[in-house]
Amino acid sequence: MRRIMIEYDKCDGCKSCSVACMQAHREDEGTVYDLDMTDPKNESRNFILKDSKGRYKPLFCRHCDDPECVKSCMSGALKRDPESGHVFYDEERCGSCFMCVMNCPFGVLKPDSVTNSKVIKCDFCVNAGGEPSCVAACPTKAIFVEEV
Amino acid sequence: MNQCYGCNTCKSADKPLEDYIAKLPMETSHHRVEGQSTKCGFGLQGVCCRLCANGPCRITPKAPRGICGANADTIVTRNLLRAVASGSGCYIHVVENTALNVKNVAKTKGEIKGLETLDRLASILGIEEADVHKKAEAVADAVLKDLYLPEYEKMQLTEKMSYKPRYDKWKELGILPGGAKSEVFHGVVKCSTNLNSDPVNMLLDCLKLGISTGIYGLVLTNLLNDVVLGEPEIRFAPVGLRVIDPDYINIMITGHQHSMFTFLQNRLTDEDVIEKARKAGAKGFKLVGCTCVGQDLQLRGAHYTEIFDGHAGNNYTSEAILATGGIDAVISEFNCTLPGIEPICDELQIKQICIDNVAKKANAELKEFDFENRPAVTEEMIDEVIESYSARRGSVPMNLMEDHGYENTLTGVSEVSLKKFLGGNWKPLIDLIVSGDIKGVAGVVGCSNLTAGGHDVLTVDLVKELISRDIIVLTAGCSSGGIENCGLMTPEASKYAGPKLRAVCESLGIPPVLNFGPCLAIGRLEIVATELAEELGVDLPQLPLVLSAAQWLEEQALADGCYGLALGLPLHLGLPPFVTGSPVAVQVLTEDMKNLTGGQVIINGDAKESADILEQIVMEKRQGLNI
Amino acid sequence: MKYVIIGAGVAGIEAAKVIRAQEESAKIVMVSADTQIHSRCMLHKYIAGERDEKGLDFTEEDFFGKYNVQWLSGVRLSKVCPEQKKAMLDNGETICYDKLLLATGANSCIPPVGELRKASNVFGLRDLPDAQAIVKEAEHAQEILIIGSGLVGLDAAYGLLERGKKVTIVEMAPQILPVQLDEHGAVAYQKLFEEAGVRFLLGRKADQAVCEADGKIHKVLLDNGEEIPCDMIIAAAGVRPCTAYLDGSGIACERGIKVDSYMQTNAADVYAAGDMTGLSGIWPNAADQGRIAGKNMCGIETEYTDTYAAKNTINFFGLVTLCVGKIRAEEGDEVQVREDSRHYNRAILRDGRVEGILLQGDISNAGIWQYLIKNKVDISGIEKDVFHINYGDFYQVGERGKYLWEGI
Repeated sequence: MRRIMIEYDKCDGCKSCSVACMQAHREDEGTVYDLDMTDPKNESRNFILKDSKGRYKPLFCRHCDDPECVKSCMSGALKRDPESGHVFYDEERCGSCFMCVMNCPFGVLKPDSVTNSKVIKCDFCVNAGGEPSCVAACPTKAIFVEEV
Repeated sequence: MNQCYGCNTCKSADKPLEDYIAKLPMETSHHRVEGQSTKCGFGLQGVCCRLCANGPCRITPKAPRGICGANADTIVTRNLLRAVASGSGCYIHVVENTALNVKNVAKTKGEIKGLETLDRLASILGIEEADVHKKAEAVADAVLKDLYLPEYEKMQLTEKMSYKPRYDKWKELGILPGGAKSEVFHGVVKCSTNLNSDPVNMLLDCLKLGISTGIYGLVLTNLLNDVVLGEPEIRFAPVGLRVIDPDYINIMITGHQHSMFTFLQNRLTDEDVIEKARKAGAKGFKLVGCTCVGQDLQLRGAHYTEIFDGHAGNNYTSEAILATGGIDAVISEFNCTLPGIEPICDELQIKQICIDNVAKKANAELKEFDFENRPAVTEEMIDEVIESYSARRGSVPMNLMEDHGYENTLTGVSEVSLKKFLGGNWKPLIDLIVSGDIKGVAGVVGCSNLTAGGHDVLTVDLVKELISRDIIVLTAGCSSGGIENCGLMTPEASKYAGPKLRAVCESLGIPPVLNFGPCLAIGRLEIVATELAEELGVDLPQLPLVLSAAQWLEEQALADGCYGLALGLPLHLGLPPFVTGSPVAVQVLTEDMKNLTGGQVIINGDAKESADILEQIVMEKRQGLNI
Repeated sequence: MKYVIIGAGVAGIEAAKVIRAQEESAKIVMVSADTQIHSRCMLHKYIAGERDEKGLDFTEEDFFGKYNVQWLSGVRLSKVCPEQKKAMLDNGETICYDKLLLATGANSCIPPVGELRKASNVFGLRDLPDAQAIVKEAEHAQEILIIGSGLVGLDAAYGLLERGKKVTIVEMAPQILPVQLDEHGAVAYQKLFEEAGVRFLLGRKADQAVCEADGKIHKVLLDNGEEIPCDMIIAAAGVRPCTAYLDGSGIACERGIKVDSYMQTNAADVYAAGDMTGLSGIWPNAADQGRIAGKNMCGIETEYTDTYAAKNTINFFGLVTLCVGKIRAEEGDEVQVREDSRHYNRAILRDGRVEGILLQGDISNAGIWQYLIKNKVDISGIEKDVFHINYGDFYQVGERGKYLWEGI
């Protein structure tokens, strides 16, 4: 499978990845120049965490081999695609119980900020050809895709 | 869940304030720190360039140059010069307005409160004129004339206002400034797209801007204000949110240009205006000090006891001051007026008025200060403030903090009042320094920010560390506001001092931290330093004197800092000024500067480590002086 | 090999998937009373009318075809004979097995109060037929009494509110959601339900209930003498594993069916998983047990170790809560609380470890808490406010880009 690999010591915390993610998943049309940065609907699915020493730790969905989110999903909304190995989320089926949020040991998942009814989850930019926008936007190559 | 807006507020050195802000039902800057906690590393290092359409370009190992070819050194120093030029412009704007005010007061035969200062200035500037008003006008004209010179003509007063060894050094380095306004112009041209790419050349320009900022923006602004607003007198006064008395119509003032408030402040104590207030149900009017203009009133408070009760807090206390509900209007004229006060003013129906369009707030009514028409404009403002008072009182909830701050905080310290306090000369202070009772002097100046440990956290911790090592601390700027609200400027604070400094403080009845007032008064600290150096017959870099802008915030602080460096003083910063991406800038600022001017930049965010470094420097300087 | 799985809940379904993945040619038979595969956690959405029966299916499309599982639906197990490796069904059929998985779940427990168990208008809320019966009864019932304010009781209330019913909830404990939340966290939900029209009677028990001529209970008397009129009653006061068919089988049973750490019962080749083991009542654990049982049934020895069950997420009216671990502080515990107008966070710490967390209002990126609590991770070395701890503090990227836990 293809996975977004991370070399966290290269991360400069610029959040270009987050902006790219917001842009890739916005509902309306447009370019990054007109992306509404203040609309809570435009949520990034990746996060730049800071540890207690102030170092940046990029938090990106691993699309785990044995995904806890899928294992805890009671609606069938989260599924691991056997071909790509990626974990996909079906908003229509989701029962908004957020057991996946609780069960992702790395805390990658979150409920959506507007309605608390959907899960904010990386889709590997499958609708854009499966090339993650975050990776393309990273100026330091702290994140990159590899076949693993 | 409760009524608090958000519980993730940043820390403050002022614990009661931290608690108060955490419980507020509205958002403040203290709440917003968390959301901005992941900072872009490119921005932090100063290696993001947005100067052209090819950008933003950012420097990485695989992309060590922007598209145009600019490397990290060029990008960083361009950004720094841009910031310093901008900061210098701010202070030059202040001194220009201040000088114009002196000129206008003089022309209209207004009151000249600071005759001693006027004489002192006239003598330095070589102005011989018997008539007080004519003398004042001549002084103001001399300053204005310099400000308006072109960049290629050196300013006339620089030499007269400078300590000779410094002036010679600047001349040698080729950094004597031309007209101060033109220097700002020159600076911004220099750092525009595809012009200068020489990092050292641009850093030297920063020093040049530092000199014009320091001598004109800082030193002369103070002295010119002393002429018309009155000279500082040492006294005790209250500080903190306690100064807000809800029985009065309260106007919070923010900015840096005290001279713009004098007419209003005098008028507010006239019987007919007080009567208006009484009719509205108040006892009268009070100005509530906030940011540097509040510090300036505090400093000269001896002249304004009727209208001014004390300084409530610094820039990042302003939202809390408003949240008390006790403020009926904000009149602002310059920076440190946070945009974040606007939603709070809206919510609490606080009238916002701006009297200088450079600081026009989005929600404020602009009533530009106009010397000629000031009586009429002032009447309008008074009526609007009363209207605001009547509309909001009773309906807006009060959330006062009557026990916040301290009652007996020393204020009114200036280069003149301190010398007077010491008996008319600097010998007692020099003796104490020589004997080691006072190990050294640290100017802890500049702003307050929320990121160096939190609101005033590094500043206050550093001050405690320094005084515990018998280093006396002099302050100016928003740092003062934080330090005084934490009680370090009361005589009781001598208990935090090392044994020797403590004994000195106790015998004189003074705190170990002396407040010179607004950031403009950094100029006063530098006069003290210069006079001490003169007395000792040494140059400034030889003094056991260090500067710290531990929680510098703004571009102005960077311009101030450049003045400190030009004076040859060690300058500590808690956070780097977005330069660490450039090896050349770091090398020049932290090392090579020692050979250029004698100064150096020290960047350290830890209070104890910073104090260790500063103490070490003080000890080295003492050794150099054989004391 | 012939695998027989009794029950089509998540434990049975997951077991079938695992077995199929291991043995392409195995014969797998699934027997269930359910005629429609459904998620028990979404019944409230059915009652509310938000989803139809099909919308409750949590399996992928054509599950039985895709995994080649023979499904006997609408059939119950009536007897197990481990010696003969046979299971008798209530349709008279007998099926033989090589390996048997019992995953029949649990039934609602109607409290033995008055004639609750006898009345025709008293329902549990456990499976789709329960929900269907409730919806049918609700067609002519207006006033609903719910006994119990746990997640099931509130689920029922939510669904019935959507149908415009008047709901009263009786709870023995002094607060709602007593197993999941502390009092303060519970009040937030109580208010939301009250705003939606629910009346709560806390610290009260149903005391008397008599069937009237129509076989229904139309009023319930509480222990304080208050009389609650009702057209329908929903008992949400707990569940009991379905084990009646085990009588005489020799399979050991206590609160639930007894299993070892390989999910095997005391009878050879008979396994059990899910709610009927009484190990935990939550979905992810039932699913895990099913998978582990399936593996062991295929001869791949796998121990069930991640038994941690003190965890819940709650989401009503858009207010989300996550609670893991200890809910009530004991003496010597350090309790940290952060509260504002949109959040209520509470952590219980002891000896440098987090023993319980409750996050209300925002549960973003909160998955790490379960890991930290169940693994008793020492966080005392992290110089941070507890609520700011995140995975970044334990961050490590291992082979193939997997996240690992530094120093753990």
